[in-house]
Amino acid sequence: MIAAAPLLEASDLARHYPVRRGFLRKNGLVRALDGVSFTVAQGQTLAVVGESGCGKSTLARAVTMIERPTAGSLRIAGEDVGTADARTLKRLRPSVQMVFQNPFASLNPRKRVSALLEEPLAVNDDPGPAARREAALAMMARVGLRPEHYRRYPHMFSGGQRQRIAVARALMLRPRLVVADEPVSALDVSIQAQVLNLLMDLQEELGIAYLFISHNLQVVRHIADAVMVMYLGKAVEYGPKDAVFQRPAHPYTRALLASTPTLDPRLRRERIALRGELPSPLAPPSGCRFHTRCPYAVERCRTEAPALLPLREVQVACHRAAEIAETR
Amino acid sequence: MALLEVEDLHVEFGSVSDPIIAVDGVQLTLEAGEVVGCVGESGSGKSVTALALMGLTEFPGRVRAHRLALAGHDLRTLSGRQHRRIVGKEIAMIFQDPLASLDPCYTVAFQLAETLRVHGTHAERSSAKLRRARALELLRQVEIPDAEARLAAFPHQLSGGMAQRVMIAMAIACNPKLLIADEPTTALDVTVQAQVLGLLLKLQRERGMALLLITHDLAVVAETAQRVYVMYAGQVVETGPVPGIFAAPLHPYTQALLAALPEHNLDRKRLKAIRGVVPGSRDRPSGCLLHPRCDYALERCRAERPRLEGARGRESRCHFPLDERGRPTHGWAPMSRVRASSP
Repeated sequence: MIAAAPLLEASDLARHYPVRRGFLRKNGLVRALDGVSFTVAQGQTLAVVGESGCGKSTLARAVTMIERPTAGSLRIAGEDVGTADARTLKRLRPSVQMVFQNPFASLNPRKRVSALLEEPLAVNDDPGPAARREAALAMMARVGLRPEHYRRYPHMFSGGQRQRIAVARALMLRPRLVVADEPVSALDVSIQAQVLNLLMDLQEELGIAYLFISHNLQVVRHIADAVMVMYLGKAVEYGPKDAVFQRPAHPYTRALLASTPTLDPRLRRERIALRGELPSPLAPPSGCRFHTRCPYAVERCRTEAPALLPLREVQVACHRAAEIAETR
Repeated sequence: MALLEVEDLHVEFGSVSDPIIAVDGVQLTLEAGEVVGCVGESGSGKSVTALALMGLTEFPGRVRAHRLALAGHDLRTLSGRQHRRIVGKEIAMIFQDPLASLDPCYTVAFQLAETLRVHGTHAERSSAKLRRARALELLRQVEIPDAEARLAAFPHQLSGGMAQRVMIAMAIACNPKLLIADEPTTALDVTVQAQVLGLLLKLQRERGMALLLITHDLAVVAETAQRVYVMYAGQVVETGPVPGIFAAPLHPYTQALLAALPEHNLDRKRLKAIRGVVPGSRDRPSGCLLHPRCDYALERCRAERPRLEGARGRESRCHFPLDERGRPTHGWAPMSRVRASSP
């Protein structure tokens, strides 16, 4: 079997933002995304997990080609996005689409479902009104919307149905990769299950790859093939889902898992109390960025930034990962 | 006598002739020092119930109840002045979005002191210096690092977790007997959520106050509460002790909610979703409110609305409550299950 060339390949991907802090003060630099490497193969799901400020959304902006990376390379279907010219980008963009968190904000309230779904076709190689309509109705059937919904406005739908519309819109151009930024966190439990099922069915039928951004570890555990845990712009752990969930190697991954409430008392882990909150991304801590909150931190963590290195099935960025793994 | 007694609470909005029903006959009791969860999806009426308890229902909302009492005092017949003396002092509430609940124009110290100026002891009401000292003490109690410096901070200078801690400090300033927490950790990051929940429970234990925890997250309730009320479409559909209610739910809705969680589908590819959506105010079904979405519904469920019945402390609103193996007592296997089990 030949290993398929990855659909998405990032190496040392970085996106820094300069910040003006005022007259006579030095400009700051937010390293929102600071050297992240990963691959996503056709039909696979990579989940990106982390708290606010970890760079998840910046990653989404880079992958959807809304912003160019400031360093490193990002290849989509073999083409480097960082150096591509406008024509190449225009050609690539339809193959990467996005689903947003809040379906109450991501759908234009003044447009009917028909217009929302047909607009991507109308602005990219318009096949004509009849074909557009046919494609929109076919996509609606695929995501579980009824034909009579075609002429309705977004306010006439519930949250779950709106998210179905958002998914349908993202799929209109037959993308190969869908970036889903917290697609179910605004939805209720029962509706969340419907939308997750839909996403997984569509993946099976159409072979789409997902970059699934979420803070909900239970959801990630269900949908992902691989998981990347991020903290302040850096990947701290990256590996296959089962390895990351069953034998978390990084102290932060462990803390995240332990902080997630669970129904089953037998699965309840001892709480690893993390001190404090996320430091400001404008002034990240020296050395390992997690050392200020890490229960295992030693002197070396304060001075030297750990690299993402392989440990058993995963890659982990921690000086003491091997040591911590032994103690469990 | 229970600390909080609510019987047959109704909250309606809209016109009298064509009301929008938000809360439809809710029963709720809380003993002193008890942690009780209230779970439900959006639109199930959990927040409206809490606001009605606080007397914060906004026009044109109308609150009716057979009984609504805190520590034996009837809350329905109080004058506005008497009511204000209780709310914020005996019952306090914290909300989902702390940065929306704090006033952006005033410092943390001012907002904490304001609570004490209105509800505090005589000494606190007369001495600004004492109020400031108490504010500092409260910030330390909610484990805010560098509390002294935070006194002068404005809400926008606080992170979400800090702001929620300030809200908690304000809520506990007058030693309330009952704290209502409406989705207190939903807007926070996972690790901060664990910290804030831990803090709430610690304060609850230390002060012996009752905590009504409103959330959509079943796992949060499973980890914190002693008892839980499950709400659906404005009604309590099931109540019982934790973890018993999660191990053997009586109501099909509770069972379906639990089954829809990813953590209960670890080795399955598809999640067991509940079909359909929560009924809106205009399309409330006849009979049992769940029947269009229920796997086990029979003719009787369509025709007749069930009442909340059962043994004391373990009640459900279902004609055919589930047995301990999770099957309905009418003994019929639902069509979807039959199909699923056949080869």
